[in-house]
Amino acid sequence: MESWKFGYEELCDELSTLIANFPPPFIYIYDTACPRITGSTIATLLDRIVSTDPGPSKRIHFAKVNAIACLTARLLYDSILNVLAKWSPDWNDGCPNWSLEGDTQRFNENFDGFIHGLRAVSSHLRDKSKVKGKGKERMKSEADEVRLVIVIECAERLKETLPELLVPLTRLTELTQLDLSVILLSEVRWEAIRPPLGASPDPYFIDLPPLSKEVIVQRLIFNFTPSNDLSAGPYHASLKGLYSHFATVLCDVCYPFVHDPLEIEYIAAARWPGFVQPVLDEHRRFLADEMDLDDPEQAQLEPPAEVVRMRLSRLFNASLSAALEELYPRLTNATDWAAKNKPEPDLLSAQPAEIPRGKDQPGKSSEAAALALPRMSRFILVATFLASTNPGKSDIRMFGRGLDEKKRRRRVRKTTKSGPTKVPQRLLGPVAFPLDRLLAILGALLEENDVETRLLAPEFKIPGEYTDMETSRVAVYSAVMELTSMRLIHRTTPGDRIDGPPSFKCGISYDVALALAKELSIPLNDLMWDPA
Amino acid sequence: EKLRIDVYTAAWEKCLDRIKSIVRALHAPIASEIKHEIHTSYDQPLPGLPYPEIPVIGITDPTSSSTFLDQIAAHTDSFDLEKRDASNTVAFTSHLYPNDCNNVMSAMKALINGFVDRPHLLEKGKGRSGISLAKYDIETLLAWYTAIRDTYDLTEQCKPKLVVLFHDFEQLDPLVIQDIFSISSLYISRLPLVFILALSSPASPSYLHSTYPRSTLALLRFSNYTVPSGTKVLEEVLLRTFFDTNFEPDVIIGPGVLTFIADYYNRHNSSVDAVLNILQLAHLRHFSGEVLTLVVKSTPSSETLSEDTSLPFVEEMLSRLQSFNPSSGRDRSISSIPSLIAATDDARNSMYSRARQMRVGFGIVKLIQDFMTSQGYKGLDWDNSAKGVDIIDVMIGALQGDLRSDVKYLGTMIKKLEISQLGTLFGNLHTFYNALPLYIRSSEEEARMNVILAINAIPPSGDDGVPGVSPLVAANFAGWLVKYINNLLTPLEDEPLWDIWYTGASSFPSPLINPSVRATVVAGLLHPYDFAEPSRKKDEEQTDPALWELPDTSILFHRYLDSGKMLNIYDWFTAFQQELETQRKNLEERALAVRSGQSSPRKRGGKGKIKEKEKPESEEEVDRWQLEIQARFVRALQDLDYLGFLKHTGRKADHVQRVVFDMHD
Repeated sequence: MESWKFGYEELCDELSTLIANFPPPFIYIYDTACPRITGSTIATLLDRIVSTDPGPSKRIHFAKVNAIACLTARLLYDSILNVLAKWSPDWNDGCPNWSLEGDTQRFNENFDGFIHGLRAVSSHLRDKSKVKGKGKERMKSEADEVRLVIVIECAERLKETLPELLVPLTRLTELTQLDLSVILLSEVRWEAIRPPLGASPDPYFIDLPPLSKEVIVQRLIFNFTPSNDLSAGPYHASLKGLYSHFATVLCDVCYPFVHDPLEIEYIAAARWPGFVQPVLDEHRRFLADEMDLDDPEQAQLEPPAEVVRMRLSRLFNASLSAALEELYPRLTNATDWAAKNKPEPDLLSAQPAEIPRGKDQPGKSSEAAALALPRMSRFILVATFLASTNPGKSDIRMFGRGLDEKKRRRRVRKTTKSGPTKVPQRLLGPVAFPLDRLLAILGALLEENDVETRLLAPEFKIPGEYTDMETSRVAVYSAVMELTSMRLIHRTTPGDRIDGPPSFKCGISYDVALALAKELSIPLNDLMWDPA
Repeated sequence: EKLRIDVYTAAWEKCLDRIKSIVRALHAPIASEIKHEIHTSYDQPLPGLPYPEIPVIGITDPTSSSTFLDQIAAHTDSFDLEKRDASNTVAFTSHLYPNDCNNVMSAMKALINGFVDRPHLLEKGKGRSGISLAKYDIETLLAWYTAIRDTYDLTEQCKPKLVVLFHDFEQLDPLVIQDIFSISSLYISRLPLVFILALSSPASPSYLHSTYPRSTLALLRFSNYTVPSGTKVLEEVLLRTFFDTNFEPDVIIGPGVLTFIADYYNRHNSSVDAVLNILQLAHLRHFSGEVLTLVVKSTPSSETLSEDTSLPFVEEMLSRLQSFNPSSGRDRSISSIPSLIAATDDARNSMYSRARQMRVGFGIVKLIQDFMTSQGYKGLDWDNSAKGVDIIDVMIGALQGDLRSDVKYLGTMIKKLEISQLGTLFGNLHTFYNALPLYIRSSEEEARMNVILAINAIPPSGDDGVPGVSPLVAANFAGWLVKYINNLLTPLEDEPLWDIWYTGASSFPSPLINPSVRATVVAGLLHPYDFAEPSRKKDEEQTDPALWELPDTSILFHRYLDSGKMLNIYDWFTAFQQELETQRKNLEERALAVRSGQSSPRKRGGKGKIKEKEKPESEEEVDRWQLEIQARFVRALQDLDYLGFLKHTGRKADHVQRVVFDMHD
């Protein structure tokens, strides 16, 4: 059995039977797990049906288009017609679409044109097959009938981009009076995108369950394509046994979290070269030792022994979940990950005790070196965070500098204890605040934490005057705007409104704010209304 | 004036070119890395990947300076702009700006047009727009790409990459970009697209990862590059511009400006562009403030100086020269113009050589310091960010000539060095001297000899028999070195006419580049004439103009400051009216005075006329005057409102709220 069919046997049987015999005009395939594979499977299936000599009845032509790529109706018409007619536009002729010889009718203007286009395509294809059939002297009255199949992927997007086309597309057979079938493939249910008032006929439903673990493993193993290269690479034919074992273990690790076979394949592709590296090293060393043998049979890479296999899985099992953690959210890409996690050379020859334990993941250091921002921007970010998490009423208590410094904090503690337990604002997400409030908090922060680092300015004598000057400088405003453009602050008022102060929202997380505050030696927790 | 502008331009361009080349050198490694990444992006995909990914290169450039992107674009685009032949082309570039990306359609159109619109490479065949492919259809790009490859016979190996440069990536609508990514991903096996994202937000938390869903990220192969930034860049730029022995700036920037640059860079805007702005302003100010800066580059010929128009200049020059050497100035008669020129040339030469010495001294100190740290000693407390003494402070110290204690400390350090270390240090010093440009080297010949002597004095390695030698050599050398460096590092202010070439301690006027908005607006309203005519400022500084002499808006603003929290519009108006009355009276008097002084025959008539006018003061005229006052009041009020000084609360009829209180004037 071919690998592309794995897990899709039922679908394939059902669909090929339908298509070959009496296809319903409108089929809806619902697949939550991995529509991408389903799409390619259907394409391959239809391709097979087309390419195998027409068994039962009719010649089938199909077009598969993606609803995301077809942003406009015109694009949808163009691509369907071009694909059906197997027409590729030529740049030197000015990229014309497919059309009948000597006919300059436009098929992409509206749906009506599209229907005419479909009819034209169908008769064109029929003519073509007739010509072919004549040559082979196999002309039958039934065989020259043409059946069209249109597959639309990501059909859920049609509802957003081309809602007005949904009804006519589902009724395409009625409208064109052709032997035609429309297949919509989507990851949402038909109920979610069904046009109102029952305008569309109900489709023939095919629901696909997510693939089971065993199927995924099988697909993985089948995707192991041995390289033709005789030299020992990671995809050498004799490593297939090891790979199937590897695939099983990998699926055991990943399946609880990820059901998408593509993702698991992705992780496998990143981990496999490293996994097999020690075996290859061993082999190379062996070759170097036995240089004088000159026996091509001997130089062949042997499938590794059971002991080696166990040692390998012992060595690498921990890194599988690490790979999942990093690669599934795409914190890094497979190529880089594979390069970074290359095992030490000659791992198999080393004693188990000598093998260093897994390296520390560099998660923390990146956080610390995170924000290479100017000092004022960092202050502004901390101020936005405070403004977004603290309630506005609390500002005067939090930042007001009374005669007695201690009084402030004690009071805060009391209030946090007394009220009914509420979810802290930090967890509810940031609230919007006006620019003025941001500047006021910024001023308070600067006054407390930034006075020492300033340049001397003897002309300011009143306490706080210098800070006041600093917060109203142009550079502060431009820094706010720049941070907004970096999306570290979100602007909540439209940019073209002049009345009133603009309002903003904080765009950084608590951790980032904490790190920033630490750098600036601001006691962030003391300044938060309900601290963590 | 014109001459000074020319001199300024020359000096500034010299400085600018230098900085540009430094920055380019700083960026070069990253740029070439990215270039390499673009070229190899399709060469070695990891085998076994489920589907081909789009190579995406993120360039994190926190300062969002355009220079780097230009550099990249120049790298990638230079191939296809000049040559009409595409057979050797490595990449085509298309630029995508936030303005193009309001929706998917326009974004795709812009993206495709950026590639396709190259008529010099490939002419598009004629076709009717209706029946041909849409301009935003990626099939168009595919057709073009196939045509390009057919026309120029490109083999499978050298597929030119299609580079899309997303400018200001954060500004682009994520939904649009998602669609672009997924459309491109469908065609990736046929179109070798490479996306470059110009990010200005910091590398982590990554903007891309926090904004885009996993399904989109899964289509990409993202790799990130960070453009160097931060204080290191600033240090490099300043070091290699003003403290490099191989480069001589025309104007030496003093500690005042350096301090400001360092502070501004750290506090507000860490981009090279900002540093350039400040330096340019410093240059401009230097040249505009000082008449004598004319002679920065060269002294004008004696013919020019002997003209009448240049007399004040010559006098100024003379007095300045004499003030520097009051005793000897009298004897050496520099009253004649040729001798004046000679004296100026002397001053320039000695100034520049002094600056050169200063740079050499600084270079040596830095070299020894680097050596000490590389040997694992603590050395001086440079680069110790916690204490805040960084290399910029050291630069400032060198300029002010107060590095003596540091130098002394270095001397003691040298005394304690091992013999092998001494050898290395001397070797380093020797290479330093040899690397000096010729004209400096000749003046430092003596020092070089001294170093060579010291090298020779070290016993050959392995000969540990004589324990007493190394301390002796070290002590001698250290003693000499301290004296020598101290000689080199004397303040530049001692030279005659130093302020022509050196900006000295004068601080940089921060309001020029970073004004405080409110303070400036308020100051403008309070003292409008300071802003309007700065040339007259000197004469009139003592006498503040009376209130009635100010423009209407200022008058109104003065009254505004006198009020309480709420302003009654009518009261305000009355006050304004009073002031306008005085203004009118005074203006009339002044006009009268002017007229009387101007011409006696008219005097009588004029007086009569005015008296005539005043006497009747007809109803009509009073009305018109009232109307004028009202109109002016409303206009001034509107101005203040527009500037945001008023708040319209509906709390009290005919009242507005005042919003600016704390006036310290």
